[in-house]
Amino acid sequence: MFADIFNTNRVHFVRLLSTNKKLHKRISSSSKKKRKRFCNFFRILINVDVARHCKIEHLQMGYDVNRFQGEVDEELTCPICSGVLEDPLQAVMCEHAFCRGCINEWLSRQPTCPVDRNALTTSNLRAVPRILRNLLSRLSITCDNAPYGCTAVLKLDAYNSHLEECVHNPKRPFPCEKGCGFDIPKDELKDHNCVRELRSLIVKQTEQMGQLKTVLTDQQLTINELKRELQLFKDFMRAMRVSNPAMRAIADQMERDEVIRWSSALARARVTRWGGMISTPDDALQLMIKRALSESGCPPHILDSLMENCHERRWPRGLSSLETRQNNRRIYDNYICRRIPGE
Amino acid sequence: MANMAVSRIKREFKEVMRSEEIVQCSIKIELVNDSWTELRGEIAGPPDTPYEGGKFVLEIKVPETYPFNPPKVRFITRIWHPNISSVTGAICLDILKDNWAAAMTLRTVLLSLQALLAAAEPDDPQDAVVAYQFKDKHELFLLTAKHWTNAYAGGPHTYPDCDSKIQRLKDMGIDEHDARAVLSKENWNLEKATECLFS
Repeated sequence: MFADIFNTNRVHFVRLLSTNKKLHKRISSSSKKKRKRFCNFFRILINVDVARHCKIEHLQMGYDVNRFQGEVDEELTCPICSGVLEDPLQAVMCEHAFCRGCINEWLSRQPTCPVDRNALTTSNLRAVPRILRNLLSRLSITCDNAPYGCTAVLKLDAYNSHLEECVHNPKRPFPCEKGCGFDIPKDELKDHNCVRELRSLIVKQTEQMGQLKTVLTDQQLTINELKRELQLFKDFMRAMRVSNPAMRAIADQMERDEVIRWSSALARARVTRWGGMISTPDDALQLMIKRALSESGCPPHILDSLMENCHERRWPRGLSSLETRQNNRRIYDNYICRRIPGE
Repeated sequence: MANMAVSRIKREFKEVMRSEEIVQCSIKIELVNDSWTELRGEIAGPPDTPYEGGKFVLEIKVPETYPFNPPKVRFITRIWHPNISSVTGAICLDILKDNWAAAMTLRTVLLSLQALLAAAEPDDPQDAVVAYQFKDKHELFLLTAKHWTNAYAGGPHTYPDCDSKIQRLKDMGIDEHDARAVLSKENWNLEKATECLFS
């Protein structure tokens, strides 16, 4: 199966590979089992890619002229699909207008204007003038769901919002009445089987869970390995520090630098009401602050001392009571404050 | 077949039917099957050309990717023209190949083919034999083209001399079309044609 897809889509495959050399390396150097997993992954990618390239049936194209009331001026039709312009774009130079879907499809094959064959690329496309948009929005169109009984006739500008809520749309999802929890398109409701759907969901999820489990085990292993290495490093550093005074100075300097780097990475803040500051945080608040600090990248060695100093009894004298804070608040403008992101 | 291709062909069909050219009987188009993938076109030989008075039938195949790719067009009626194969009816015309543009229609294609009949491009030939005759023995080319138009497309000019030479070869058991093709190629030299057929 894979071989077939691979052979018929060799070009896509090679292109996919060449877009990611690292991936390529990983594939060629990985085990057989892993390679199979990659191939499955590519099969999905390729199918998506092929679907996009081979099918133009699902292309967004203009509205069929026959669905409009009265004559539609030829100027309002797309020269590519010959329908009424849908989401139109025009060429900057020659000002020929096309449906967005149509012109993009054409330009993906040939970089010329489909009418006069002058050079044209997607970057030379722009929105059509307001007058054209207005003329289009005034046209009256019958609903796409007319074959299913919708008799609405709408102005083109109100058409899309109608489509969304049209009760005659056979694809409009309805919740299953038997309680499986699925939303089923109206026209598929009669063939809907709760057990089958749920079963396939379970199968899919089991598969996903299996994949996730392998990933999890892999990562657990990596984490353990890294932990061991980290511990080793810590021990090594400690030994260096103890045995060599110069090293101790370097380590202290590094810690100081780390604090400066962290604090300068934070945005400047301005305290507007020093009097209204919470000066006696309770345990829950302290926990929250601690979490916000560590998430902001606060160096761990100052985290505990920062937390110990967060109660007003440990604050500097000039800040230590509500009264002093209110008296001194003008001087506080000289403080540099930083905002810790978080709630 | 892709939705867009069908809806476009349907509209183009109507366009041709409404056009002035159909009133003047210079082009015609009809359906071959119900799926709109195959059509039959007909163009009148343009005036003041060796093809005048003839009706030339074309096979038109519409690809699924139409109008992003050109329709495949071929002459069913045999024709003596530098840009059209005298054997297969294949056409050498830029707009049916690289110079196709999505805004072109069946009507413009048929009119372009008519224009091609009026203005051959012997330097970009489909049929090298015809192109050589066109450039080198133009009088003979005109005669041959008129004769083919008469034989296959109902043209008015008859050439008893040509007919008798063909009859001579037919009497030797050669198929009429083969006889005409070889004689045309050999500039109506019966001896050379015979040599060519029997060597």
